Amino acid sequence: MKASWLIALLAMLVAGLGWGPAFADPFPTIPKAKGERCVEDPQYMRRNHMDVLRHQRDDTMRLGIRTTKHSLKECVSCHAVDGKDGKPVTVKSRQHFCASCHEFAAVDIDCFACHASTPEAKR
Amino acid sequence: MSILFAVLFYAATIVLVAGLGLKVAQYVRVPAPLKIPTTPAPLTQGGAAFRVAREVVIFESLFKSNKWLWAMAVMFHFGLVLVLIRHVRYFIEPVPMVITLMQPFGIYGGLLMIIGLFMLLGRRLVLPRIRYITGPSDLLMLVLLIGIGCSGALMVNFVHTDIIGVKAFFLGLMTFNWQKLPADPLLYVHLALVAALMLVFPFSKLLHVPGIFFSPTRNQVDDARERRHLAPWAAKYEANKTMP
Repeated sequence: MKASWLIALLAMLVAGLGWGPAFADPFPTIPKAKGERCVEDPQYMRRNHMDVLRHQRDDTMRLGIRTTKHSLKECVSCHAVDGKDGKPVTVKSRQHFCASCHEFAAVDIDCFACHASTPEAKR
Repeated sequence: MSILFAVLFYAATIVLVAGLGLKVAQYVRVPAPLKIPTTPAPLTQGGAAFRVAREVVIFESLFKSNKWLWAMAVMFHFGLVLVLIRHVRYFIEPVPMVITLMQPFGIYGGLLMIIGLFMLLGRRLVLPRIRYITGPSDLLMLVLLIGIGCSGALMVNFVHTDIIGVKAFFLGLMTFNWQKLPADPLLYVHLALVAALMLVFPFSKLLHVPGIFFSPTRNQVDDARERRHLAPWAAKYEANKTMP
């Protein structure tokens, strides 16, 4: 009696879970960057890019040290993704290299309230 | 390691769901032969439902009996709710806007939860009368939850993990499209403790979660004078008009 209950429950569980966007790739699309390699190891960047950027911001704003190694500008120019019109997409598009993962992980970013999310146009 | 955790979480989920299901089925079936609402009690079914809701949401009877313990319980449980809402993002894609907006509150909820848990643990260790009635499982639950809370808060604030990888791992588990779990010791600790909590849930005091809905002193209507209460076991004698 108890065993049949368990089996029914298991069947429901399996059926319920197998539903939905079944067997789709569970990763966000991560666009390829233009540069040869990142300023830090990718595994490190995946975990700590927010601290790196915040550290750079504090150094620049409070101490006046302005280096390019960890600058947001360089991230944006190397990782920019072109939209259908051939122009780089802004962070409002899910194709944007920040938005892709950030929307997947439900993490809001406030960098682009001030900064541009697209590379500077060449003059 | 990924395979180990995948198997562990499938097992833990099955034990949690099946165990809770069987326990709830037992609670539904077990007889409550007498009318024993703690008075003053509501006179209508709606009133009784509202009373249970007050008990579940704001721990009314605990507030009336012990303000300190109530404050600790609120810190832990409300913190836990915020933390659980924050964790929803790992299991659904796309993430609804409400969940995204709730994210920062989850971090504060986590801290609130940890503070509450340490106060509850302190209560069990420091107060002599409470210490006397404290069993090993009371401490185990608190220590498990503290371990989960601290490992989680450490990952949020200091030693980050690859949360994209974590979400992919769990979405993969749910769609049977298995992915690698990011190799971070703190993440392993966090997930192992969560699985342990899921495994002990149906066999522990944590059953107060479904249990509170079935407590006769709270969910019964005080209508014993208006309507005669006939226990199921007594009904058959009533039908035959014979006394046992």
